[in-house]
This record gives sequence, structure tokens and C-alpha cells, in this order.
Amino acid sequence: MSLPNEDNMASQLSSHFFGDLLDSIIVDVASECHRIARLGLDRNLEDEEEELRLSAQARVRVADPSNSGEANSKYVVDIFGQSHPSVASEVFECMNCGRSIVAGRFAPHLEKCMGKGRKARPKVTRSSTAAQNRYSRGSPVSAYSPYSNSTSSNRLSNGTSGVAGEEYSNGTFQEP
Amino acid sequence: MRPSVNRPPTPDVQENQEKEPTLQETINIKLIESGEKERLMELLRERLVECGWKDEMKAICRAFIKKKGRNNVTVDDLVHVITPKGRASVPDSIKAELLQRIRKFLVSAAL
Repeated sequence: MSLPNEDNMASQLSSHFFGDLLDSIIVDVASECHRIARLGLDRNLEDEEEELRLSAQARVRVADPSNSGEANSKYVVDIFGQSHPSVASEVFECMNCGRSIVAGRFAPHLEKCMGKGRKARPKVTRSSTAAQNRYSRGSPVSAYSPYSNSTSSNRLSNGTSGVAGEEYSNGTFQEP
Repeated sequence: MRPSVNRPPTPDVQENQEKEPTLQETINIKLIESGEKERLMELLRERLVECGWKDEMKAICRAFIKKKGRNNVTVDDLVHVITPKGRASVPDSIKAELLQRIRKFLVSAAL
């Protein structure tokens, strides 16, 4: 049926067209890679370069003896080149009790000011019942619910201190 | 005849640079016009992705780009980088499949 010549020619032609198709696809792949490279879309490439650079920098910094002892010195230099005293010295008014507080002592002050007051956390009832209500309604609540369901009062106060803290940070201040 | 609107009859008026289209060209035209070329290309693309050939080529490109610096690379560079390996590493089964399809088309088109 088909002469060997024809067969030969058919093979040749087929190979030719196959090569054609393959070349087109190769150009497509090359074009795609080129685009990704030029647009910086290949995160890995950049990340690796960045990593190399950062580790080189870090190594230099570690090797440099003049930079050591940052923990010891009182004045640390941050990334903007500014230095701060280790204890913040600004004085302002506590929004809860109205006293003038040194900023560096504000956190411990708040603990006492909001937490103890006269008694230890009278807020317990309010926030624990609120949390229990939320829990019983079946809505997914955060970690508050296990705390509110525990029986020991210590746990309760610890747990609701979290709740209370959260509520305070939302801007609701309650009287101790 | 007025030359404006009427298209001049093709081979005569022009210089006879254009020989008769070769068999290859004729078949190429048939391939394209029938849509078979597109189908074949998609088939080949799909097969090459499946077998990991494309990923191989992309890895070669990435290595080259890393070496040369990503803003110094041209498409041409990449084509030259992957062509030899690309042509050589097509799995035989895929090549055979495509060749067979092309041949089938040739047979049907040439008759």
C-alpha cells in the first residue's frame, strides 16, 4: 500500500511538525520563566538572596566586638539610630484613678489600680456569668468558657482576669 | 484595468518569487486551518506537564537566572539554554503518541 518512499516522507514530515510544536512550547516556557524572573514573582529566588545577605550581615555584626553588651548598657540604639533610657521617664495621668504615674511604673500601677482596689477582683461575677451565658447559648467562644466553668475560685479569677483584661482593653471601665 | 480596487490576480502580476507552496507548507496550512495544530499543541503541552518535563525546564531556567542575575536575562537566552535539553528529554512515549497523531492527519489530509 504505502511505498517506503512515502513512509519515509511521512516520517520526515511528522518529525518536522513535531519539532515545530516542541519549539513553540519551548519558547512559551522560556517566555514564562523570563516573565517571572523580571517581575520578581519567584519568591524563592528573592528569599534566598535576602537570606544570604542577612546572614552575612548578621555574621559581621556578631564578629564585631564593639557591638556586644547591648543588654548591659543602659542606652540601646534602635533601628532608627535613636537611643532610649531603659526606664521610660514620662509622667502622665492614670485614666482609671487619676493619679500621676511614671510611665515606666504604669503597668504595675494598673495591676493594683484596676485589679485589687479594695477587694480581690469583684468583677468575677459579672464577667463569669457573661461568659457562661455566651457559652450556654452555644456560640463558639474563645478560651474564656473553660475558665468560667471551673469551680475553684482561684481559677475563676485567673480566667476572668483574662476576660476582664480583654473587656478593659475594649474600652469598658468598671469600678472595682 | 484600473489598479485601485481590484486585487491583481495573484501569481502573475507579482514577481515570480513565490514558487508553488511546498508540501510542507500546504500541510502546515491545513493543520492550522483545521484546528488540528492547536489541538496537537495542547495535547503535547498537557503531556509534557504531566511527565514533569516543564518543571525540569523551569528549574534549568531558574538556575540560569540565578547565575546570571534576574535582570540580565533575555527570552532568547532562556530559549537557547533549554532547547537542546528540552528536545532531548521528551519521553519516547509522548513523542510516539504525537508522531502517530500527526501521521494520521497527514494521511487524511494528503488524500
